[in-house]
Amino acid sequence: MPSSPPQDIRAQLEGLRRTYAAQLEMRVEQIEDAWNQLLHNNWDPAILQTLHRMVHTLAGSGATFGFHYLSNVARTLEVLLGGVLEAGTAPIALQRIQIHTLLASLKQAVTHSEQMLPPPDLVDHVPSLDSPIYDENNRLIYLADDDLELAKDLALQISYFGYEIEIFSDCQLLIAATQENRPAAIISDIVFPNSPSAGIEMVNSLKQLSEAVTPPILFISVRDDLTARLEAARAGVKAFFTKPVNVPQLIDKLDELTTTRAQEPYRILIVDDEAYLATYYSLILQQAHMLAAVVTDPADLMVALDEFNPDLILMDVYMPNCTGMELATVIRQQESYVGIPIVFLSTETNIHKQLIAMSLGGDDFLTKPIEPEHLIMAVASRSRRSRTLRSLMTRDSLTGLLNHTKTKDQLLYEVLRAERQGTQVVFAMIDLDHFKSVNDSYGHAAGDRVLKSLSRLLQQRLRKTDTIGRYGGEEFAVILPDTDGEAALKILDDIRIKFSQVRQQAEDATFSSTFSCGIAVYPEFKDVSYLKMAADKALYRAKHQGRNQLVLASPLSENRLD
Amino acid sequence: MPTTMTLNRILLVEDDPDIQAVAKLALEAVGGFTVNICSSGREALQMAPQFSPDLILLDVMMPGMDGPSTLKALRELATFPTVPVIFMTAKVQTHEVEGYKQLGAMDVISKPFDPMTLSSQINDIWLRHHAK
Repeated sequence: MPSSPPQDIRAQLEGLRRTYAAQLEMRVEQIEDAWNQLLHNNWDPAILQTLHRMVHTLAGSGATFGFHYLSNVARTLEVLLGGVLEAGTAPIALQRIQIHTLLASLKQAVTHSEQMLPPPDLVDHVPSLDSPIYDENNRLIYLADDDLELAKDLALQISYFGYEIEIFSDCQLLIAATQENRPAAIISDIVFPNSPSAGIEMVNSLKQLSEAVTPPILFISVRDDLTARLEAARAGVKAFFTKPVNVPQLIDKLDELTTTRAQEPYRILIVDDEAYLATYYSLILQQAHMLAAVVTDPADLMVALDEFNPDLILMDVYMPNCTGMELATVIRQQESYVGIPIVFLSTETNIHKQLIAMSLGGDDFLTKPIEPEHLIMAVASRSRRSRTLRSLMTRDSLTGLLNHTKTKDQLLYEVLRAERQGTQVVFAMIDLDHFKSVNDSYGHAAGDRVLKSLSRLLQQRLRKTDTIGRYGGEEFAVILPDTDGEAALKILDDIRIKFSQVRQQAEDATFSSTFSCGIAVYPEFKDVSYLKMAADKALYRAKHQGRNQLVLASPLSENRLD
Repeated sequence: MPTTMTLNRILLVEDDPDIQAVAKLALEAVGGFTVNICSSGREALQMAPQFSPDLILLDVMMPGMDGPSTLKALRELATFPTVPVIFMTAKVQTHEVEGYKQLGAMDVISKPFDPMTLSSQINDIWLRHHAK
């Protein structure tokens, strides 16, 4: 076959590329012109068709000459315009914004050379988990009540659960303080000496004063009449408790309103071979406070699944080498991912093909191009359900703590990690004292509340990296990574004292409850089974020595016991 | 004798002049083929009988007459009931390839193509097809 030397051809190709590059700016300007014409000509379909055509050509030639970023932007724009063309109506505002954005990106792709805008390496595009989304550290509560004795007692009870309380005897003082320092929530009485509805008046003036959102407000009152409740509801009060206040319920509500353990953002894994589109989706989801990781090569999927641990997978149907349907089947074949929702994204509008995709393990079918709001809603609602289901499988329903199996798994995981990193891990077993007699004397509902109060206290006093599990009926397990015995003794003893001071509520009585605790430290006990046995023996000793105390297992004394 | 036919004359149907230039280089200079270029399906219908290509490379998305309708029209011309056609298109998806093959295409080449290997890619398709 007669052919020219390769160097010669490369030189010619380079010449073509340069010529093309020189015209790029003009081409993009022409596209912009066409768009402007379209805007001023009532969406003339002929102009739209020309515009679509120009963008299509740019996408094709751009890629041919190695302008991959530009080509990807043009391709996305082409899909978007194709959708408008097909709909046959003027684009909605949102689509127009998207088109504007893409046009701006096109211009940028031309003015900056391709080298300066490398196609972003998106495979490991996992945003930082530390990004502060919620103001979850605000634990400040304002409490307004003219009955100071009652206020002090209530403040003390609430403070056991990690809240910081400031008491005000007068509504005006509270309003003034709000201007200085915004609390996470406000608890207030309604009736004050100066007015029988001073509380409600305060809420209304707070709302007028503050340009920002007012903190959630909870009322505690002797008034239980409909007028008071109605006025409170109209003022936007979040909860209404009649005196005497049921403290556990009040704390539940506070927790809920101040989102103590803030809802972790949903984790979405995006699988799409088109990096540009995948990034686009991930940006949309990140704006809705979700965490998105992108996989552009299906071969990376399994690793990403294990490492990122997503709540939901958003997947393109058509990819090189394998289809989304095939991938879904593979994912579903693994037991740990049977329940994970898979949502397909595709240009496929054929309902029959969509149904086939669903039968292969897909949960939903979204058609590209998709509106950001629609994407966010579809993904968020499925993630929420997925998380609830998963939590039912791994968590104790009463306390929301990890169940026995998951706690054991976590202990193994933490010990292996400590082994790798040469750190220490504390394993503590906590058992409520005389719990059976609590149930017998005050009823199971009261018993359940005791369990919940301990669970809540542990959650609030321990770190996020610590693991808390409900190990058995009245038995809890705590795993403290990177902690030594002394530090564990200190924090757990503090929790023990606080817990013994919590006033537990029964139908018509209050009582207090205590726990005993056995602590063992890895690597003093050098594997999971020794660690558990040692903590168990230490707990037994704590019970034996009179309960309401902690015992730290030492390898020597354990030997002596054996 | 279609089974022993060698590939020499290629008719390229592509509307974008930039891609035309690269493809011409890739097919003539690298591959050593005799190439004729048309910018539209309509032009291809006129050009085809006199050029009598061994193979037609057809862009899928063109204004006016697109690739598939050009293929259909070509098949209706008495002189071209069987001339092999390869489609060229961006981001080929498996289900699309099947669809194009059902239309009578020999294969599909995805865009952007690599100018240095386009010719050997075409040769491979050609050989595979004629080995059957």
